[in-house]
Amino acid sequence: MSVKLANYSNNSVWTLCLMVLLLCLPLLSQGSTNRAAVKQITGVVTSAEDGLPMIGVTIRVKGTSSGTITDTEGRFSLDVDEGTILVLSYTGFREQEFLVGASTTINIVMEPNVATLDEAVVIGYGTSKKSHLTGAISKVTNKDLDQIPIARVDDALVGRVSGVNIAATEGEAGSAPTIRIRGTGSMVASSSPLIVVDGLVVDNDFLGSLDMNEIESFEVLKDAASSAIYGSRGGNGVILITTKDGKEGKTKFTLNSYYGVKTARTSDAYYFSVAETAAAEMAANGELSDRTRYKQLIGVDRDWQDEIFDGGSITSHSLSARGGNKKTNFSVTMSYLHDEGVLLTDDFKKYSLRLKVNTKLSDRISFGASIAPSYTDRRRFDGSTHDILRQTPWLPVYHDENTIQFVDRNVYPDVQVGDYALQRHFDNYDLYGDGSALVDISNTSNTNPAAKVLERNRNDYKFKLFGSTYAQYKIMDGLNFRTVLSGDFQNTEQDRWQGLLAHRNGAANIQLDLTTLTNIHLVSENYFTYKKEIGKHEINAVLGIAAETFDFKANSVTGTGYDSDLLQTITAATTISGASSIEYENRFFSFFGRVNYVFDYKYLASLSLRRDGSSIFGPDNKYGNFPAVSVGWIISEEDFLKENDIFNYLKLRISYGLTGNNRLDTGDDLIDSYPYLALLNSTTAVVDGNVSAAFNAINIANPQLKWERSIEINPGLDFEFLGGFIGGSVEYYQRASDQLLLYNPISSTTGFTEALVNLGKVENRGFELEIRTNNVRNRNIVWTTSFIASRNENELIDFADSDGQIQNVDSKRAAEWINLEGNPISSYYGWVVDRDIPLEFLKDAYHPVGGEAQDVYVKDLNGDGVIDDDDKTILGSPYPEFIWSITNTFSYRGFDLSFMFQGSHGAEIRNMGDQYLFNHFNSSQDFDPATTPDQEFIKQKIFTNDIIQDASYVALRNVALGYNFSPELLTRIGFGRARVYLAGQNLLYLTADNYTGFNPESINSTSPTTWGYQRAGSPIQKTVSFGVNLEF
Amino acid sequence: MVRASFKWLLHLIGFAVEYINNKTMKYSIFIISLFLAGLTFTSCEKDFLSPDPTSAVSASNFFTTEKQLEAGVVNMYDGIQGVNILADTDVNNNHSIQFEFYLTEMRSDNTRTKSSEGEAAQFENYSIEATNGIVTDYYRSFYNIIYRANVVLENLGVAASKDAERFEGEAKFVRAYAYFNLVRLFGDVPLVDRVIAPLETSVQFTRVNTAQIYELIVSDLRSAADLLDDTYKTRASKSGAQALLAKVQLTLGNYSEARTLCESVMNAGFSLEPEFKDVFYSEGNSEVIFAIGYISDDSKDSQNFSAEWLNAVGRTAGVNYVTDEAKAILDEKGGNRTAFSYRQDALQPQQNQVVKYLPNGDTDLGIGSVSSDPTLAGNDWIVLRYADVLLMHVEAIMNEGNGVSTTDPAALASFQAVRDRAGLMDAVSSVTKEDLLDERRVELAFENHRFFDLLRFGVASDVLSEFASDNGYSFSGTDLLLPIPQREIGLSNGLLSQNPGY
Repeated sequence: MSVKLANYSNNSVWTLCLMVLLLCLPLLSQGSTNRAAVKQITGVVTSAEDGLPMIGVTIRVKGTSSGTITDTEGRFSLDVDEGTILVLSYTGFREQEFLVGASTTINIVMEPNVATLDEAVVIGYGTSKKSHLTGAISKVTNKDLDQIPIARVDDALVGRVSGVNIAATEGEAGSAPTIRIRGTGSMVASSSPLIVVDGLVVDNDFLGSLDMNEIESFEVLKDAASSAIYGSRGGNGVILITTKDGKEGKTKFTLNSYYGVKTARTSDAYYFSVAETAAAEMAANGELSDRTRYKQLIGVDRDWQDEIFDGGSITSHSLSARGGNKKTNFSVTMSYLHDEGVLLTDDFKKYSLRLKVNTKLSDRISFGASIAPSYTDRRRFDGSTHDILRQTPWLPVYHDENTIQFVDRNVYPDVQVGDYALQRHFDNYDLYGDGSALVDISNTSNTNPAAKVLERNRNDYKFKLFGSTYAQYKIMDGLNFRTVLSGDFQNTEQDRWQGLLAHRNGAANIQLDLTTLTNIHLVSENYFTYKKEIGKHEINAVLGIAAETFDFKANSVTGTGYDSDLLQTITAATTISGASSIEYENRFFSFFGRVNYVFDYKYLASLSLRRDGSSIFGPDNKYGNFPAVSVGWIISEEDFLKENDIFNYLKLRISYGLTGNNRLDTGDDLIDSYPYLALLNSTTAVVDGNVSAAFNAINIANPQLKWERSIEINPGLDFEFLGGFIGGSVEYYQRASDQLLLYNPISSTTGFTEALVNLGKVENRGFELEIRTNNVRNRNIVWTTSFIASRNENELIDFADSDGQIQNVDSKRAAEWINLEGNPISSYYGWVVDRDIPLEFLKDAYHPVGGEAQDVYVKDLNGDGVIDDDDKTILGSPYPEFIWSITNTFSYRGFDLSFMFQGSHGAEIRNMGDQYLFNHFNSSQDFDPATTPDQEFIKQKIFTNDIIQDASYVALRNVALGYNFSPELLTRIGFGRARVYLAGQNLLYLTADNYTGFNPESINSTSPTTWGYQRAGSPIQKTVSFGVNLEF
Repeated sequence: MVRASFKWLLHLIGFAVEYINNKTMKYSIFIISLFLAGLTFTSCEKDFLSPDPTSAVSASNFFTTEKQLEAGVVNMYDGIQGVNILADTDVNNNHSIQFEFYLTEMRSDNTRTKSSEGEAAQFENYSIEATNGIVTDYYRSFYNIIYRANVVLENLGVAASKDAERFEGEAKFVRAYAYFNLVRLFGDVPLVDRVIAPLETSVQFTRVNTAQIYELIVSDLRSAADLLDDTYKTRASKSGAQALLAKVQLTLGNYSEARTLCESVMNAGFSLEPEFKDVFYSEGNSEVIFAIGYISDDSKDSQNFSAEWLNAVGRTAGVNYVTDEAKAILDEKGGNRTAFSYRQDALQPQQNQVVKYLPNGDTDLGIGSVSSDPTLAGNDWIVLRYADVLLMHVEAIMNEGNGVSTTDPAALASFQAVRDRAGLMDAVSSVTKEDLLDERRVELAFENHRFFDLLRFGVASDVLSEFASDNGYSFSGTDLLLPIPQREIGLSNGLLSQNPGY
């Protein structure tokens, strides 16, 4: 969206600009003070950043609407009086005033907008000057984000905004990260922020189909006062994404391409070699068991991480054309991205196109349209890492001439060289050749772990279409009416083939699943905007209504009864063993209004209200009101600071707002859509040999269910010191969320296990700090640093009758979480490790892997001589307390270098992977009940803090080194800009000493009440890439 | 909504055209009126914000006809059938009787896991934890069945009297069946005899003593026996209710009533299948009194236990494998039943598998394949069969007498009938308690009777202690009751007490 050139007379900003100019641009040519009559002046506008001519810079005679823009070589000419003041403006650069003197030729250098105070910030249904904000809004402009070699735009935001935590919870190519703005405030309801693309609320999945090259900026609305304009859906913050518009001027073509190579970060602890086990056993026992000898004989000693983390590459090409004239501008971007992930079989391809056109029909009427189809094709890693990595190191993937000789021919007469090797193949081996010892070393009947992944083929194909049209009518100066009709359509096709060799049962387990998901979302918004400066009063207001519908459909069918992999169609199935379809809808109806008021350029106030109606709630609770108020005071505008040299800008602000949340995530779409109704779904049962229809209740209705609400108070301070040398902000926030939408566990004696309720209160509070410094800035060298830090504390304040409730994720391996008031929403719960069980008491300490017991002695905390529930305690918290990043950028002549370190501290993880990998839940690694002392003090490790590990990390997230070819050279060959660069991602990734896995961010998706469960997970990806940016 | 939006757009386009033609019109007024029109659009917003669900039925519109009530009745059997975990891998589904063998047969001396792995092994070696997921699953499943039955009982009003009686009988049978299993496995349990709300925590977490639970069971089964006939084998029937009540009365020590009930069933037209194999591979045969139906190759209505009992065909490496003790007694006393009770595992010849309920047949034994995909097995699960009733008849008569042995001709006849079918034709002149227990063990092996038989015969502690010490397990008397699931204890805020020993 373009910004009106108003507010320019804001003195503080002007002073600031001038100071920066004086500091940084001593070479700026000065006009003479002699006055003359009308004359023609000509000149060239160049950029201070790269010295290149700037195209399309608006030059306006101050106080009038007359002016011009620079041409393709940055030139302009204008007839003006001497003594006139020219105003130059260009997005991303500081607005400049220039006094016309005697000279008829003036060359002006535009300064990039370092302090960003004049920057227009998108605030939802409008824009505001950054200096006039009264809430906590962070803006990230896509300056070089499109050069980070990652497939998803949300991953690029890691470390860019304080208070925003983005964790790579899944590591597959194309998989979504978990995003939390200022902590987790909801329980069952989604705690993900709301995503808005060019004004349209989209589901979070859209982040997977956007292309970074299309994006102009991200605005993150963090406090409730800012996000309250999105009312019910703003409770967990809002990420506004603005795509690029065309600009007036000659059409510019941009080509951005990169190619990168990816590898996985592996874990040394997760490689158990036969050799290590043998050495440990030899050291302990002085001899090797038959099993160990046999394992050595097979001659394979594999790290399964090497097998399933096969490395990958990433390729991205994007071509765009942008341009326009006075009336019309357009932007087209075509992109292709291919991420061949680091896991076996994972692969993600994305094709996207975005077309935007804006035009003015007349002075009063303008309209525009944009359309953006995208298609993604994702092959999944159809397995789970813990399941594969727990395989023994001696197992080959395929039989070769050597391994085939160990096969138990009585049971497996047909196994050949080249077939997948199964552990059972190696059973009953006559180790001494005399029948004296038939050795079994198998630990599972499963098929080869590589086969499980390679012989399955699971794909998601998503087609998404985003479209939007608007028309705007200028009713009078400052007052506009805008109507927007927008929508998105998503079609997802999923197929999953489980092949002949994917399962130990062979053909009996071949299965094809086909699923189609369709989602149509339409929005109609109609609103007035009013923007006016009257004397010292400045008003920016909006008032409107919006209606929204979401329609979802899903169909799926499962075929079985195949005898080979030849025909992978439903037609070829001999049995349709399952089929289903489902439809549901959500609707919204809203009223919204906001007034931003500025008095005398120093006193700011904003008042907003949204009234949202949602189909999710029952008749009595459909509507929620979400008001917000915020005020600000630009202290640096006061006389006592105005002449001051240290503070260029100082603003104190405080905001208060109420937002909501209605996004349920119970795992059942029908319950999520109609929770106020008691729903029955069809089921079947076999009676009298026939399948008969039945109806079963799927939920406990809650007609009183209502909006979850969050009340947030956020004082903040924005500052800029020393002529722009240091700028930044400090925030404190306290967000109390109550009436939480909770899918609360209830006694199964009710016939159900969960019921939706509004219950409890959670508070997130913390500090945020953003500091940006311009360490060096001259013609040759620019060095900037930005430091971002946030601290969040999460506390369960009130949980009514559920206070102290204990839950598990996997009833089979039921490690516990407690939801206890005074602590974070969820805490790990269990017994405290006292000491290890000496290996001599294990039945077999060196099989299947070496030297690990699955049990441990625990502490009798209350000293009553028995280990029971009363000895359990809180073992840790899954939520990070402190996250930070520090980014440095340097440029020297044509070279530029930037790097970002980013870290997270204070969270713990329940690393279930350890238990799977270290002892396989195998009974040979149980203690021997006949010999082990103090057995009543022994518990399985999964119920203790043995597997609670520090999830802190420090990563070198991004590093990029680029070179810009000299403009002289480029102009000769017709290029505007050419840059090549080398970039790296996660080249350094440090974790805590006691963390054994390969990705402390990887967390199985569960409810916030049982957060932090890792079952090996997927690895951190390291990428090294090479790219080019061309403009012509 | 969409239509309204388009209308607005059309207005807007019309307005734009007009504007170009006539710049003097007062458009601002027009737009403001348009906006106000938009506000009046909210007049239909009530419907707009209350779309009816199309893929589910709102309960307030349901249970208004007899047919709908019958859908609720069928739903009870769906609850007992449980979800096939191999078709839908969500562990939080109710697996109901598909998991029952873990809690019963594998806690007896009949079966064990093949490779003593994971939480399944806790059953055979008597180290069950309160967090055991299978125990949690069973408790949850059976209270869910009770809930489904209570829903039927609370909506009987919509059916005409004759059908209402039938449905009432079925619901009461199902409820009693569920409670009978719960009370034997867990001891005192919460008594839920109506649909309860989430906030009624005192009902949910108050353990009611077994005597009171049995009162409900007996009264439900008496009503069921009165209200039902013998139309169905996979739905509740009169004989089913009587046979189940007979077992309840044997458990409670009311032997003469048990005897009367058995004799009533014996006069209802059931008979022993001539071939033992056909009991399990000819569904709906004349011996079956009550069975749980399944159908092959259907993800929603098949079962997984048949696959789990094989070597690594199901989710596990193999469970419910035959113990050496069970093999020995089958070899000794099984007659022609032995071959159709267990077999050697072809893949691991030192191990033995159950032959009853094979999903994929056994050509050597002349058993055909039931399902093309063994993990989607269609073998029905037999809850009550005639041989069980005949042996209960013997038990009732013996206990009417000295409780140690019997020579009562009626008892001998029932006992002989079972042995004759097994090819053990030698005439029996006296049956001791031990004979009867062994006969029940070999006749009903792997049908989830053994553990309850040991309890009812009062020998569970002795037999299982010996079995445990022979196998290096550690058994104590408190292992006869399962733990109340830790999940429930955790949710109860201290209201719910745990069984001793956990």
